[in-house]
Amino acid sequence: MNNALVPVNSDESRSELIQLVSFNLDQEEYGVDVLKVREIIRMPTVTRVPNTPHYVDGVINLRGKVIPIISMRKKFGLMEAENDKQTRIMVMDVDGELMGFIVDAVSEVIRISGSEIQPSPAVVASGVDQECIAGVINQAERLLVLLDLEKMFSLDERKVFGSL
Amino acid sequence: MPPIDCEDQELLEGFLAETTELLEKLDDDLITLEKASDDTELMNRIFRSIHTIKGASSFLGFDLLVKVAHKTEDVLNRLRKGELLVNPEIMDVILEATDLVKLLVSDIKAGEIQERETEGTISKLLPFLSEPAVSAQAPAASAAPAPEGGVDAPPTSVEQAQVASASLDAAPPPVSEPAASSVPMPDATVAPPQKTGGEMVPKKAAPAPKPAEGKSEDLSDNTTVRVDVKRLDDLMNQVGELVLERNRMIQINQNLQQGDVNKDDFNEEFGKLTKRMNFVTSELQMQVLKMRMLPVEKVFKKFPRIVRSMARDLGKEVDLQIFGEETELDRSVVDEIGDPLIHLIRNAMDHGLETPDERVAAGKSRVGTLVLAAVHEGNQIIISIKDDGRGIDTDRVGRKAVEKGLLTEDQLAAMSQREMFDLIFLPGFSTKEKATDLSGRGVGMDVVKTNIKKLNGIIEIKSEKGQGSEFILRLPLTLAIIQSLLVEVEGEVYSIPLSSVLETLRVDQRQFHLIGGQEVLKLRDMVLPLLRLQKIFNVQQRYDKNDFCYVVVVGAADKRMGLVVTRLVGQQEVAIKSLGSYLANIPGIAGSTILGDGQVALIVDPVGLIDSVEGNAGR
Repeated sequence: MNNALVPVNSDESRSELIQLVSFNLDQEEYGVDVLKVREIIRMPTVTRVPNTPHYVDGVINLRGKVIPIISMRKKFGLMEAENDKQTRIMVMDVDGELMGFIVDAVSEVIRISGSEIQPSPAVVASGVDQECIAGVINQAERLLVLLDLEKMFSLDERKVFGSL
Repeated sequence: MPPIDCEDQELLEGFLAETTELLEKLDDDLITLEKASDDTELMNRIFRSIHTIKGASSFLGFDLLVKVAHKTEDVLNRLRKGELLVNPEIMDVILEATDLVKLLVSDIKAGEIQERETEGTISKLLPFLSEPAVSAQAPAASAAPAPEGGVDAPPTSVEQAQVASASLDAAPPPVSEPAASSVPMPDATVAPPQKTGGEMVPKKAAPAPKPAEGKSEDLSDNTTVRVDVKRLDDLMNQVGELVLERNRMIQINQNLQQGDVNKDDFNEEFGKLTKRMNFVTSELQMQVLKMRMLPVEKVFKKFPRIVRSMARDLGKEVDLQIFGEETELDRSVVDEIGDPLIHLIRNAMDHGLETPDERVAAGKSRVGTLVLAAVHEGNQIIISIKDDGRGIDTDRVGRKAVEKGLLTEDQLAAMSQREMFDLIFLPGFSTKEKATDLSGRGVGMDVVKTNIKKLNGIIEIKSEKGQGSEFILRLPLTLAIIQSLLVEVEGEVYSIPLSSVLETLRVDQRQFHLIGGQEVLKLRDMVLPLLRLQKIFNVQQRYDKNDFCYVVVVGAADKRMGLVVTRLVGQQEVAIKSLGSYLANIPGIAGSTILGDGQVALIVDPVGLIDSVEGNAGR
């Protein structure tokens, strides 16, 4: 399932149905492949970890496993916001490791066909790394940005991460 | 050659397990034999081991292995009959052959049979086969020539029968009837040397789990554990009790929800439950920990061999004494201490002990003593390597360090005795003028230090010039669960491994001194560099400034340092949780743990912190 989202242009994938978890971040709506999402939890207490990139909020205890928590807002250079009732952590499988991502709210699971995914326009607002945008879904009443999390932590970044 | 099918796979695994076990013992036995060459029982045991290996490998068609084992067996046979006498030269060759056998077996284990050069070793064995029997001295010198066909004949003949039967239908190998080996052959004679055709190419072990390349020496199997059934039963019992306590807990909760308990009853019940839970879980923890334990013998038993060959290379006489080899410690630790110990032993052999002549001149006995001892002390295991050699000459060490540019004259002048000892751990340090095969590159002791640090251990050196030196390693029993000291830094809780904590102090901050931008504390006769955890971990100031704070004195290997914290929380046993690959290698953080309230607390890495301070000082 690794590449479910990648061959956007090939004919077979156009007709394929894809399920996405959609979430909100600073008034925009984003989507990730449902198969990558392990669970969605409310905000627990996060333990800060020193000397990490600014977007790493810290670590949490997920039933006996310690996983890192990434703030999506910070990662994408968005305005920081207070955590509220809607704030969720999406625990996702990134390259075989669990990581939690803080998002403003998780809305629903939607089904789209591969043909609805359009390549992202050259300029995307709000500082989201062009790299990790797998495409855009333009429906009548909504615009969804499709993210590829594996790309979000590009190899280089992981190394930096590791050697900090 | 058909691929090894399932049945064969089982045979192969059996063969590997048996051979590995035999080889492990063989080394030990051979060394013992050299000292007690008239021990017939021992001699026979060695002979049987190599014979069994030969038999089994010929049955499975491992050609090279058979060849080497066979020649070795022939030489051993002559020794056994008293035709040859045990002497260091023969032992050297036999040990070399044993090593080759080990290498071949590990090839088979890795599933990749490689063409190894065996002729060299075999040709060394051959002279001993053609050498005339020491008939003249034999009756006199070897007090008890093995009674041939006598006491020891029955066991060997059975094995020989197996070999003979196996070798009869060796090519093609009896894939269809593995039972052949159990059919006893009446005319049991030593199997003739095998001249096998080209089709006897050793086969590959079909699905090799891991090709252990480059780890040819590692014959031990660390992926499976043999557990005493008794221990398993105990464990099951404990789990049963845990289930009972859980039910009890559910019951108490239910009662509480329904509101039909008064507060006192609840308190009492819950208190009891907590106590029992505490008891059961600590028992469980102990049991599981015990299952992970291995006797340190696993590491120690390869040392007699190493010491022997080194002694021969260096022309020194050494008496190696081993104590406490039954001391148990965690597998994770056992795997890691092998290398540092080898380096320490090499160091003691090469630098510590003198040559026999030098020893006599110094008024000591010709034979040097090397003592390797392991002992439990509380939550630690202490391993000491002690020699009665020349000791560490601090003057010479100091001079060398200055010569090599590792420190300045001024620095040297300010050093205490202990700090001088610590110089030998510097990378690139060596007192040798010339690097040899054994030592002199200044790598070994650095390896020791890094590995011991990795294990959260501490090294102490005791040495007296002319009297000898002792290296003492203090290691934690396990790496999975540790005793830790919980400290608070401006509201954040951190855990410091207790194994590296030497003492804690409550100090007035006005007693801190500043030397070259580094905060230090005068602690008795030493000047302790300080590190504020708040600063290094960027913790936000939460409380009002307070003059008093706590200093946790930590030590790693040979260094000491004080960590400044706001408050001490207490001592707790914690399970180490990895932070995952994304957050690995954060300086100063070794991992994390989960506290009683479910919060994650980070485990401080005193070793990393000390290094970082040293690094800063150097810049």
